[in-house]
Amino acid sequence: MTERKTGIYLCGGCGIGEAIDVAALEGVAKKEFKLDSKTHACLCGDDGVAMIRADLEAGINQVAIAACSSRVMTDRFGFEPIQVLRADLREKVIWSHPANHEDTQALAEDSVRMVLTMATKVKAPEPYVEGEWSSRILVMGGGVTGLAAAAQAAALGHEVLLLERSDRLGGRALDSSKRLPHRPPYAQPAANDIGDLVASVTGNAKITARLGCTVTQTSGMPGRFVVNLSDGSVETVGAIVVATGWRPYDASKLGHLGYGASPDVVTGVELEGMLKAGKVTRKSNGAPVKSVAFVQCAGSRDPDHLPYCSSICCATSLKQALELIEAEPATNAYVVYEEMRTPGVMEELYRTAQAAGVIFMKGKVKTVGADLTVTVADELIGEDIPLAGLDMVVLATGMVPNSTNTDAPSPAEGAEQLAGDIDPEVPFPVAGYCGDAPAAHAKRPQAAPEGGSLLNLQYRQGPHLPVLHDGFADSHYICFPYETRRTGIYTAGPVRRPMDWAEAAEDASGAVLKAVQAVRSASAGAALHPRVGDLSFPKINLNQCTKCKRCTVECPFGAIDEDEQTYPIVNATRCRRCGTCMGACPVRTISFDNYSVDMLSSMIKAVKVPDEFSGKPRILIMACENDAIPALDMAGIKRNQWSAHVRILPVRCLGSVSLLCISDALSVGYDGVMMMGCKPGDDYQCHFVKGSAMAAERLSKVGETLKSMMLEPERVTQAEASIADADRLPKVIDAFVEQITAIGFNPFKGF
Amino acid sequence: MNAPSPTPTKKYDLSFARWVYDNIDGGDRMALCMQCGTCSGSCPIGTQMDHGPRKLFMMIRAGMKEAVLTSNTLWNCVSCYNCVVRCPRKVPVAYILHDLATVAVREGYAEARNSDNARFAKAFWWSAAKYGRTDERLVTGKYYFSFGIGEGYKRGMANLPIAMGMIKTKRMHLGMPHKCSNTGELHKILAKAAEIEARDHGKQG
Repeated sequence: MTERKTGIYLCGGCGIGEAIDVAALEGVAKKEFKLDSKTHACLCGDDGVAMIRADLEAGINQVAIAACSSRVMTDRFGFEPIQVLRADLREKVIWSHPANHEDTQALAEDSVRMVLTMATKVKAPEPYVEGEWSSRILVMGGGVTGLAAAAQAAALGHEVLLLERSDRLGGRALDSSKRLPHRPPYAQPAANDIGDLVASVTGNAKITARLGCTVTQTSGMPGRFVVNLSDGSVETVGAIVVATGWRPYDASKLGHLGYGASPDVVTGVELEGMLKAGKVTRKSNGAPVKSVAFVQCAGSRDPDHLPYCSSICCATSLKQALELIEAEPATNAYVVYEEMRTPGVMEELYRTAQAAGVIFMKGKVKTVGADLTVTVADELIGEDIPLAGLDMVVLATGMVPNSTNTDAPSPAEGAEQLAGDIDPEVPFPVAGYCGDAPAAHAKRPQAAPEGGSLLNLQYRQGPHLPVLHDGFADSHYICFPYETRRTGIYTAGPVRRPMDWAEAAEDASGAVLKAVQAVRSASAGAALHPRVGDLSFPKINLNQCTKCKRCTVECPFGAIDEDEQTYPIVNATRCRRCGTCMGACPVRTISFDNYSVDMLSSMIKAVKVPDEFSGKPRILIMACENDAIPALDMAGIKRNQWSAHVRILPVRCLGSVSLLCISDALSVGYDGVMMMGCKPGDDYQCHFVKGSAMAAERLSKVGETLKSMMLEPERVTQAEASIADADRLPKVIDAFVEQITAIGFNPFKGF
Repeated sequence: MNAPSPTPTKKYDLSFARWVYDNIDGGDRMALCMQCGTCSGSCPIGTQMDHGPRKLFMMIRAGMKEAVLTSNTLWNCVSCYNCVVRCPRKVPVAYILHDLATVAVREGYAEARNSDNARFAKAFWWSAAKYGRTDERLVTGKYYFSFGIGEGYKRGMANLPIAMGMIKTKRMHLGMPHKCSNTGELHKILAKAAEIEARDHGKQG
């Protein structure tokens, strides 16, 4: 590496110059780091930026800026490929602390010390770009979602390999009569246009469709997945969209609802087939169907069957009832429901069905007799109502995700991955609400979904895509819905959550955009969500590696495999750059070009810790860059004040924090350490899924170490932060400072 | 509109709801009832009803024809129109109750014949049809004596102080009943209406 020449720039704008002594900061750089710095009254203005550019021309190769938060002015202070380091003097210093106060000045000086220390410990990352990269996208599943995904990916210029398990494209839509309304005014069932979608895919030269074909094995990483197919061929693809869809819940398990007792008790899917064929008659005797009852939630929202709502069965029954009435207006159609769930604009279809004379009864179906008498515990009348003399009973069964390959046996290994470690029933705290935590909740046991793995991933962490509690592919519904815990593999459609045709097609677009981003980022060596564009990747010094395997086990995304000698191998494009491996490594041999345990420790040690006679505690907060840092920035923007005795060190994820950082902080005299990051656990908000959970687990083991050092375990704590916590976090910080002050000073001060 | 309601061969008759939707004045809107209960909550005399309008509508959907047509709900409605004004689905609740009452009378449900409200309605209609005006003395008299001579006398005497008070404050007069200016034309109009009614709904109850 060429000699490091860091240009240091201090900004006096936005009130910084009035609230703190910027000249003193220049003095810190000069005296302690032997570096010259430049101060500008408005660094982000054209003059200021021109000043930095002139210095870049003159040969500096790294820029350190002490001005506003690193989250703002990134365009003004972006000098690619030169690395820019930022110290925040505005949001987290002058906006959140009193002006012209010695503690605020000390805080600003420490911010400069931290960034200048950082500048000596990092280098501009060199991306991993070795080898060939494929931009082809593999789409698994030829139903609505898969076809839409293939068409979208091709429209974006990518070659597509489309796999379909059966011998025809179109999926379940082929067996459907009409589809749910998907265009304004959303009031009437719409024509089944799956034929158009199939034609657009089969006529597209960029899409290669293989029928009767499944995946037998997948290895590699985004940009170069090697996929073995059941037809014996081996293909290389850049990203994978899993659109394997759903299957109806097995109605033979619904004996209590009369299935099997009479041939005229049918499922919604069976009725759909009859409507598609154009002839709805009683299976028992071929007579016309004059009166019919739809039983909603047949096996759904039932802890003994499917505990969740499939969201489309209500609308589907409305559509089927309307189709029956359209064919024969005198048809007497009853819909027995517990709650009519018509998400979004599907409410319009509900109104149409009401106006058409469909009769709705609210209550739970108690029994369905062999004579088709449906007995309803009617909630609105308050008694059991027998609906007798029906010609047909339709059970609206729910959707089961095809997150496994049910044609294959369940594998002996890796089944625990499918047991689902996310509990959807955990009560969700409202973000930003400063109240008591919800009551503890016993996790409901649930069997792993049956079947083999879809992709048979040759990953250290097993062959499966991790799933949620109910068998749906694991993702974060709100923040990153298409991401799975295997980078470059995206789920779309009902394999991810129950959804209808139009939603599935929309979902396909979302997943394809993610897949396109994956293949394009892979070839550039850039990270994906949430550290989009990050060019660093973990490097392991194998000379020091003890083969403890913590990194391969703890990686939330299964990015690290093991070689024959069980040394870890990083698959760079699978990595999301959270640094959980770095935090896990007991010998600290994993680091990034611009992020390492050494860098964090050095920054911690760069802070001036006042002695016990000053009466001022010093507290370290390692704050997650995803939610905690922006929330603190917002607290500054709102001018919320917090103690000037804390020093905030941004980290990529709490998972990247090595326990060494904590022991270093305590040994140099910090009085307390707080880890501030996203909510861990079943209802995680961690952007790296497992990072804050890993931090919590490691922290749970630090108490003993502290006791052996004769330190109080309360000196180290973990705090949850969400993006909406701008008002809460200052209180959390102040409470911690108060608690530490009560405990007293760290006896290690001054050693 | 001329189909009689389905005969209640059983307590729950699945065809009744659709018959109401198709044949009762306002029944097509009743199909849109979402059971919010605003009608029952708004009803000033809901406590005097066997079932509030909301529950009555649900009973119609469950096919409970006899229970519906013998319910006093049909007769205790005072036509204040709170429910009609407030219904978020614009169901004309009061109209539906009145039309169901007509069906109850036409089809001879005992409860309807014997109810106080039916007696009073008949007395009211007798006066209105005869004179084109209602006369308090005639309406109350006819209503009281519909229970029999003795009962009528008893009820009349019990309310005598009220009648005297009304006379004193000129709320009730003592002369001949008021009439509209041309009762002959009125009777012709009503005869024509009866003819249409008979044509559309069969024999009057």
